[in-house]
Amino acid sequence: MAAVIDASIDDAKLAEPAGSKRGRPRWLTAYLYILPALVIMLAVTYWPILFQVYMSFTDYGLRNLRFDAPAANFVGIENYVNLITNQVAQIANFNFWGMLAFNLFWTFSNVIFHITIGILIAVLLNAKGLWFRGVYRAIFVLPIVIPTLVVATVWRNMFDTDYGAINQGLAAIGGIFGMSPDVFHIRWIDQVDPPVSWIPLPLSYFALLITNIWLGWPFMTIIATGALQSISKEYYEAASIDGASARQQFFNITLPLLRPAMIPAAMYGMIVTFNLFNLIYMVSGGGPLRQTEILVTTAFRLVNENRLYGLAAAFGIYTMIILLVLTLLTNRITKATESYV
Amino acid sequence: MKLKAIALLTIALLVSTACGGGTSSTGGGVAAGSIKGNITLWHAYGTGGSEETALNGIIDTIKKANPDAKITVLQVPFDQVFNKFQTEAAAGGGPDLFTAPNDELGNEVRANLLLALDDKLKGKLDKVAPLGVDGLKVAGKLYGIPMLFKAVALYYNKDKVPTPPKTTDELMTMVKAGKTIVQNQNGYHLFGWPAAFGGKLLDDSGKCVADQGGWADAMQYQLALKAAGGKFETDGGRADTSFRQGQVDMIINGPWVLGDYKKDLGAKLGVAPMPAGPKGKAGPLTGVDGWYINNSAKNVDGAIALALAITDAVGQKAYADVAGDVPVRTDVTVSDPLVKSFADASATGFARPQSAEFANYWGPFGDAVTKIIEGKSTPAAGIAEACAAMNKANKK
Repeated sequence: MAAVIDASIDDAKLAEPAGSKRGRPRWLTAYLYILPALVIMLAVTYWPILFQVYMSFTDYGLRNLRFDAPAANFVGIENYVNLITNQVAQIANFNFWGMLAFNLFWTFSNVIFHITIGILIAVLLNAKGLWFRGVYRAIFVLPIVIPTLVVATVWRNMFDTDYGAINQGLAAIGGIFGMSPDVFHIRWIDQVDPPVSWIPLPLSYFALLITNIWLGWPFMTIIATGALQSISKEYYEAASIDGASARQQFFNITLPLLRPAMIPAAMYGMIVTFNLFNLIYMVSGGGPLRQTEILVTTAFRLVNENRLYGLAAAFGIYTMIILLVLTLLTNRITKATESYV
Repeated sequence: MKLKAIALLTIALLVSTACGGGTSSTGGGVAAGSIKGNITLWHAYGTGGSEETALNGIIDTIKKANPDAKITVLQVPFDQVFNKFQTEAAAGGGPDLFTAPNDELGNEVRANLLLALDDKLKGKLDKVAPLGVDGLKVAGKLYGIPMLFKAVALYYNKDKVPTPPKTTDELMTMVKAGKTIVQNQNGYHLFGWPAAFGGKLLDDSGKCVADQGGWADAMQYQLALKAAGGKFETDGGRADTSFRQGQVDMIINGPWVLGDYKKDLGAKLGVAPMPAGPKGKAGPLTGVDGWYINNSAKNVDGAIALALAITDAVGQKAYADVAGDVPVRTDVTVSDPLVKSFADASATGFARPQSAEFANYWGPFGDAVTKIIEGKSTPAAGIAEACAAMNKANKK
């Protein structure tokens, strides 16, 4: 193979037209170049996906893992049907559609905050005459560079009812106004009743939201900062001459010109948030009563706690389809991949 | 550090006394020098905990007596030990042997991951209590070398509670009078109460019958206890801390924390069986810790010999003295009264079933406990819902 590759990088041969009869055709050389990558991709990416599709149509379990084990039983679309009809008795109160609704709400509610805060901070950091701009930008990158697992563990401790910094901080502030510390004995993670009676979301959702906002906005700020640098100052000068206010300039120049950068970032943020396993698993554990469980944490439970590989494979396929539809829909609505030039 | 050194020294002395200089055979019938080859062992004891100290001391002594053996010890987090073993063993890997409670024994046997040991252990478990041997059997076959009994009991702080409550009524009176108890809010630690109120989980066919009385009464009692000032914690670490720091007077927990509680409370620490109820004694889940031999073990004979050496009379004595665990051997004398209390609690416990049906207890009843304690469901409705879900999962 090495000899073939060495021969193929001969400049003279590369220059040959396609279909040359004197030597190897040019297209063949190209294929030889991508062959190693293709082989690796087939082995580590496409084969597992195909195997997962196969597993999803079987009752694959622990007993089928060994090389010498009997093949799993083919069950057709039973796994797929059981999932959407909530026939997963191994997980109490399993509710696929409720979980999907929460997963989507979780995703959108987070990304809206990320983008809004991200853009606002970027615009503020872009203001003329701001001192220590570089320092601020460096500090704001911090949440991105700390591993999510560490962030989740720290925030989980901060939300502790008795010893957590959040309740202690609130109690200290409340103390200034003469409030008893007992008022701030808030069970951020364990409380089952929703804090707002007419909003069916547990307190742990808000704890997760606060954590993920802290985690997610800096990325959007970086993207927005980059995009802001590319907006020509001439637009603002022209708008000023025409008498446009700062607010009008923001909504009519800044926001539209940020859009080409922000929409792909938002789509990326959506996919990451939709699959944000570490944070949910470590902070709320999906609780209380599975109210903050998302699709990927449930898939993990199906595999890790129940060893239902076949069912989990079907679950994974559903998750992939949902994300694909979500991405295509968003792309269509926002025209993210269209040219803006 | 000093405690650890003393513990190690105690084990070394005990082992050297029993082995008579490393030439006599051990209680499990393993002669010094008879353990050979590479052996990989897994455990899930907490780092620096008393159980890890006990095991390390025993292993060190065995290594010295068996220079031909290369024993590799790997610690695995407890919440991952079953999953890690099952996944690796199913793929043909994993350790030669590992120790854990018999929580997942049935599932592992049904997945063909463990070696049946009846022939290999013939005549070698004569000194083990029958409940210990039975606990490691699935469908009549033996799949482990028994070592310890484990069931929860009532820890109390003698400074605050001079006499522990013997009945649920006494406990209620104490809590109403200002004594405090913290309970782990889950299906395991609370499992013992329903038996005290006449509740039964499964009938002989494996059908859940918890909705036919007893369980709802037990949960009603828990609600009354909570209303009187009893604390419920979903975070076990936090519950432990509050007892160890003297913030609460009583806690229900297992022998695996005895050594650690002793460090903090010393002579103030007391242990008693869970209080009996109006219909009889409490029935906590009695588990058996054993050593299991991987079906894919590369050194089966070495692994069995090592497990027998660890679980011989000397080893089990060390576990009892250092970690406060309850030995399964009848020839081990437990001198610590606290460990004796755990032995009593284990004897009255409900032997942990190895059936596939019992595996479906945790999800539904875990949720039921949360819903009831948090006031989202009445005890009767919560238990009925959980029982129905368990039966549905078991197709009963």
